[in-house]
Amino acid sequence: MVNFIKRDNNDIYSKPIMGFLFKNQKFLLTLKIVVLALFLYALYFGFAHTGKDNTFTYALFWGIFWSLFMVVTLPTFGRIFCGICPHGFMGKYITKYGLQKKMPKWMQNRYIGLFLLVLGWWGIYYMFPGLYRTPLGTATLFTVMTLISFVVYFVYRDMSYCKYICPIGTLTRAYSKLSFTWLGTYKSACNECKTFECATACPYNLKPFTFDSRNSMTDCTLCMDCSSACEAVSFKYKKPSFSLFSKFQTLKAEVWAYILILASIPITMAFHHGIGRSNAAGDMIWSTTAEFFKGYISFGSIDPIGLFAFLYAILFTVSAAVVGMFIAAKILNKNFKDVFYNLGYSYAPLFILGSIAHSLETFFMRGYKQIVEGFGHGFGFDIDVTSLAQRGDSWLHIFDLLKWVAIIWALIILYKRMKLLDADKMRKIIAYPFAASLIIFFLSVNMYRGYIIDTYGRASGGHGSHGAGAMFQSVSKDKATLLQSGKDKGSCIVCGMNLVKFYKTNHAAHLNDTTRQYCSIHCLAEEKNLKKMPLSDLKVVDVKSLKFIDAKSAFYVVGSKKKPTMSEVSKYAFTNEKDAIKFSKRNKGKVLNFDEALKIAMKDFDTPAKRMAKEVSATDIVYFTDKNPAARRGKGGHGGHIHGGSRGEIPSKKVWPVFINNSGRLNCISNIRSELFLLDANLEVTKAKQSRGRDCKTVSFRMPDNGYYNLYYVDGNIQDDTLYMTTAKYEHMRFNHSNDAIYDNENMSAHSIKEVPFDILRVREKGETFYHRLYAGEKVRIKAILNSEPIEGASVTLSTKTGWSKTIKTDKDGIATFVLLKDYFPEWNKFDRRHKNNFLLTATYTQNSAGEYLYEPYKKIKHTTTYPSVYYPNDSAYSSYAYGLLAAIITMLLSGVAIYWYRKRNQQPFKEVRFDEKD
Amino acid sequence: MKKIRDFINRADISKFRFWLQLFFFILFVYGGYFSINLGNSIPVFSCGYDREVGGMCYFLPLQHQLARPLDVLLSAASISVLIGFLTFLLWFIVFNKAWCGYACPLGTMQDWITGLRKRMGINYSTYTQPQFNSLKKIKYLLLALVILAPIGVGLGILGGEWRTAFCEICPGRMITPLFVGDTSQWSLDFSTKSAMVLTTLGLMFTGLFFVGSFVKKRFFCFFCPMSAMHYIFSDAALIKLRKDGDKCTKCGDCYNVCDMQIKDIADDVQSTNILRDDCILCMKCVAACPEDDVLHVDILNMPVFTSTKGGFVKRMQMDDWEKKDD
Repeated sequence: MVNFIKRDNNDIYSKPIMGFLFKNQKFLLTLKIVVLALFLYALYFGFAHTGKDNTFTYALFWGIFWSLFMVVTLPTFGRIFCGICPHGFMGKYITKYGLQKKMPKWMQNRYIGLFLLVLGWWGIYYMFPGLYRTPLGTATLFTVMTLISFVVYFVYRDMSYCKYICPIGTLTRAYSKLSFTWLGTYKSACNECKTFECATACPYNLKPFTFDSRNSMTDCTLCMDCSSACEAVSFKYKKPSFSLFSKFQTLKAEVWAYILILASIPITMAFHHGIGRSNAAGDMIWSTTAEFFKGYISFGSIDPIGLFAFLYAILFTVSAAVVGMFIAAKILNKNFKDVFYNLGYSYAPLFILGSIAHSLETFFMRGYKQIVEGFGHGFGFDIDVTSLAQRGDSWLHIFDLLKWVAIIWALIILYKRMKLLDADKMRKIIAYPFAASLIIFFLSVNMYRGYIIDTYGRASGGHGSHGAGAMFQSVSKDKATLLQSGKDKGSCIVCGMNLVKFYKTNHAAHLNDTTRQYCSIHCLAEEKNLKKMPLSDLKVVDVKSLKFIDAKSAFYVVGSKKKPTMSEVSKYAFTNEKDAIKFSKRNKGKVLNFDEALKIAMKDFDTPAKRMAKEVSATDIVYFTDKNPAARRGKGGHGGHIHGGSRGEIPSKKVWPVFINNSGRLNCISNIRSELFLLDANLEVTKAKQSRGRDCKTVSFRMPDNGYYNLYYVDGNIQDDTLYMTTAKYEHMRFNHSNDAIYDNENMSAHSIKEVPFDILRVREKGETFYHRLYAGEKVRIKAILNSEPIEGASVTLSTKTGWSKTIKTDKDGIATFVLLKDYFPEWNKFDRRHKNNFLLTATYTQNSAGEYLYEPYKKIKHTTTYPSVYYPNDSAYSSYAYGLLAAIITMLLSGVAIYWYRKRNQQPFKEVRFDEKD
Repeated sequence: MKKIRDFINRADISKFRFWLQLFFFILFVYGGYFSINLGNSIPVFSCGYDREVGGMCYFLPLQHQLARPLDVLLSAASISVLIGFLTFLLWFIVFNKAWCGYACPLGTMQDWITGLRKRMGINYSTYTQPQFNSLKKIKYLLLALVILAPIGVGLGILGGEWRTAFCEICPGRMITPLFVGDTSQWSLDFSTKSAMVLTTLGLMFTGLFFVGSFVKKRFFCFFCPMSAMHYIFSDAALIKLRKDGDKCTKCGDCYNVCDMQIKDIADDVQSTNILRDDCILCMKCVAACPEDDVLHVDILNMPVFTSTKGGFVKRMQMDDWEKKDD
C-alpha cells in the first residue's frame, strides 16, 4: 500500500476540483446515496401516479439517465454512470452478505445482457411503441430489473450481474473505450507492492495494477473503491480512444455490441423514424414486407412496420459488417475471426457520437424543460421554464457535425488497428475499404435518408411522436366532445373541417333546438354576424379541461404563438383567467373577452386583398410586381423571393399584375381576362395561367433553365372608338450559380414575341454575364418595338418608387436612354448595399390607323406597355478609394518610420577596441 | 546516374527557383489570358479576385462552401466540401510546402521586394527568438478565422460580410488584381460597420505587407493561414525535407540562409523530418549545407536533392558577390 505518491500532470486526482469529484469518498458516497434515493423515489412515484401528468418518472429515467447523461459521459469520461449506478451501489453491499457463489459457466455469457438490451428493450420498443414510456411501464421495468439484480448479487460473487446480465453492462464497457480517461496505477510503486490493496478493494475482483500493461480496463466501472485503498491508483487524461490504437485482448461481445446497437438504434431510427416519415415510406422494403405478412398473420397490437424495420436494420447492418470483413480477411489472407474482432473496434464511435448529437439537440429543444418541470412536479414545486431552443434553430445544426466526426474517427481507428495487423502493406490498402464496409454503410444510410426526405418530402404530420408535427389544436378522438348528431357530426357546420383536428378552437351554439358546432370562432362569426342567424347559448372549448364552457364568460388568449384556425390570429379560450394569463405568458398574446375576440375574428372577413381586388378598365395601365400588394407592412415586405430554392425542385416565380386606379390607389386584379404569355429561357412561347384564388390574382411560372424569363400580359379593349392595347411585361433572370452555366449571347439578348404587338426591351450592354445587375449611375437603353419593328416617337417614362420620373421619346432606332438616378440616401451606418431601387418603365404610342378588333371597329390604337425592374446602389456610394489608399499609405508611412527609428536607435556606434598586447 | 545526381546537387538552385517562380507567377496571375484554369483548390495564394486567375486559392471557395446554412452544409452538400478539400489535398501532397517557396504568387512578390531591397543595399531585419515564438501562432488564429467566420455566417450569427472575412483582410486580394490592372479592391467599404473594419484592416495589412516584406524576408508567410493548413497535412506529402542529425556539425549555415528564420534546421539533430510549420521548402538550407548528405529533399523516400561538399563549394563561388550585400 502506498500512502503518498507524486502524481503526474495529467492525473485527474491531482486536479483540485476534478480530483475532489472523482476521489473524495465522502462526496462519492453522498452522490451515490442521492442517486439511489432519486431512483427509488421515481419508482414509487411511477406506481403512485400512473397517469400522463406524472412527468417526474419520465424525466428522471428517459430525460437524464438515458440518454442524456449516459450518452454524453460514456465517450468522454467513461463509465462514470456505472460508478454511481444504484444497482451497482446496492449490489456491493448485497454481495458482501450474500452467498458468494461462483456464477455457473452458462451464465457467464455477456450475450445475455446484450440480448436483453437489443431484443428485450429495442425490439419491444419498436413492436409496441410507447409501452415503456408510460410512468407505470417505466417503473415496472426498472423494478423488475432491480429485483433480478438483487437476486443475482445475493447469490453470486464478484458483481457478476454487472458483467453478464446487466443490459447496458457490455454496452458501457464497449463504448467507454472511446473516453479520454484511464484508470491505472503508478508502475514504480506497484513494482514493489506485495499486498495488492487495489485488487482486494475491488468489488469486481479486478486487478487495477494490470490495466496499463493489458491496455484494457476490462470491467472497471470507475466506482473508485481502489483509489481509496491505495494512493498509487491514478485516473488520467489520455488521448480519446488511445487504447484502441494498440493491442489488447479483444472481447467478441463488445464488437457485437457495437454492431447490434448501431443496428437497433441509429439504423432502425433512420429507417423507421427518418425515411418512415417521408412520402416514400410505403415503398420501403419493411413496409411492403409488413403489408405482405399482414395478409397471413394478425399482428394484434404489434406495430408490424416497426418490427420489420428493426429486423431489416439488423439484417442489413450485420451483413454489411460481416461481408465486408470477410472480404477484407480474404484479401489480408488471415483468419476471419482475428480480422473481424480486431478491426471491429473501429465501429465504436459510429453510434455513440451521433447519439450525443441527438441527445444534446433533444436536451436543448425539450429535455431541459422536461427535466426541470418534471423535477418540479416530483417535488411539488410549480416550475415553468421555456425550452432553450426551438426546433429549426440554426445553431442546433452544429451538432450534426458530430456524425461526421464519428465517421472520420472510426476511419482513423480502423487505420490504426489495421496497422497492428501483420500483413503485406499492399493487401492492407486494398482491404481497407472492405473493412470499412459498416462505416460506409452507416454513412450511406444517413445520406440516403437525407436524399429520400429531400426528394419525396416529409409526410404531413411529420415527426409525430416527437410532438412538433402534431397540431396544437388536435386532440385524440376520445377526449373530444361532439355535440352535433347525424352523419356529419364530426365536421364544422360551416366549412366542413374536421372538428377533432381543430378541437381546441371549437365553438358551439344553439339554433332552434339544434346544436351547431364550429371549427373556430371564424365560422361562428360568419353565421352570427354576417348571416345574422339567431344563435344562442354560445359555447367554446376550454383548452385546459377540453370541455365546452360558456363563451361569454371565457377568457380568450388572442394572437399567441400557437397556430390559429382559419385566421392569421389565433384565439384560444380558458375558463380561468389564471390559466389564460399563464398561457399568454408562455406563448405571447393578449387575454381578451369573447366580444373582443369576436371583433378580431370579424377582421378576417375584411382582408386588404379583398378590398384591393378590382376589375381593370380599358384605360388602366397594368404592371407586374413581385411583392404581394395586399401584404401588410413588415410582413412579406422582403417580397420577391423565388420559391423552390432547395435541391431537386424547379424554382418558380410568382407575380401580381396590378394597376393604379383613377383615385391613385393601388389595386390588384380580381380576374385576369387578358392573355398571358411566357417567353422562356430557350425562347419558346407558352401560355401562362392565372391563379385560382378569389382575391388578388397572381401568375406563376417555373424556371427550369438559366436565363431570362419574360411574362407578358396583353389585353385589348375598345372605348370611345379607340383600341387600348394594354401590355405588361415582367422580365426575370434565373441563374443557379452553377459553374457549368454557359452565357449564350443569342438566348440572353432581349427578344419580343409576335403575340405582343407593342413591346419595350432592355437592350443588353456589351459584356453582360449571369451576374448582371443594374446600378445607379449606369445607363439603361430601352428599345420600343411595334409589330417587330423599332418605332420612333414612342414616349417612354421611367419612374422610381421615390416619385422621380422622366419621359423621353424614342429615336429613329426606337431607343430611349436613361441614366439611373442615385436615389438612395440612408444614414451611412444603415446603408444596405443590396438595397433595391424599384422602377417602372412605361411606354405609350398612339397609332392612327383604323381597323377592327374582335369584330368591333376602332379609329386609332393606343398602345401602352410596362416593364418593372430594379437597380442597386453603385459601389461608389459606399466604398471609397481615397480612404482605402489613405489607410494603406498611413500604415506604410507609420511602420516605415517606426522601423527606421527603431534601427536608428539600435545602431551601435562604431567603437574601436584596442588590446594592449603587452598585458 | 551518378552524373545526373551530381549535376542536380551542384545546380544553382537560386536561379532555378527564380525561373520557376516566374513561371508559376505567370501561370497563376495571368493564366486567364491563356485560358488556363487549374480549378479552385490551389494550395497557394493565387487570388480569386484576380479576374485572369489561372487556378484559384482554395480559401475563397472553402469559405463560400462553409458559409452555407448549417443544415445544408452538414447534409449532402458536405460532399462538395469534401471534394474540394480532397482536390486541395491532392495538389498539396505532390509538392508539400514547396508550393510556398516555388509557386505562391504572393511569396514570389515578396522575394522580388527582397531583391529590390538587396539592390538598394539596405539591411534586413529579423525577429528575436521570443518574438518569433509568439508571432508564429498568429497563422493558426487566422486559419481559425478562415474556417469559423463562414460557419458563423451559416449559423446566422455573423452578417454576410464575414463570409469571406479572411479574404477581406488578406493583402493578396488588393495586390494580385493590380497585375491585371484592376484597382477595384483598393476601396474601403462603408456599407456596414464590420465591412468597414475588415476592409480597413485589409488595406492596413496591404501597407504592412509592402513595408514588412521590404525589411523582412517573406514577411507575410510567417502569418499565412495557408501555411498553417499545409503543415497539418504535411506528413502525408510526397516530398519531404529530411535531416541526418548524426552528420550535422551545427555550423548554422542553414539557419543563416533560411528566409523564415527556422532555428530547428540547425539546432535539431534528433528529428529526421525537419519540415516545420513556417518552412517554405525553398531548399536554400540544403544548398547551403557544407556536409555530405546531412540535409536532403526526398520524393517518396528517394533523395533527389542532397547537400554535398562539392555543391557547397561551387555555390559559394557563385554566391560570393551576393553574400556581400546580404
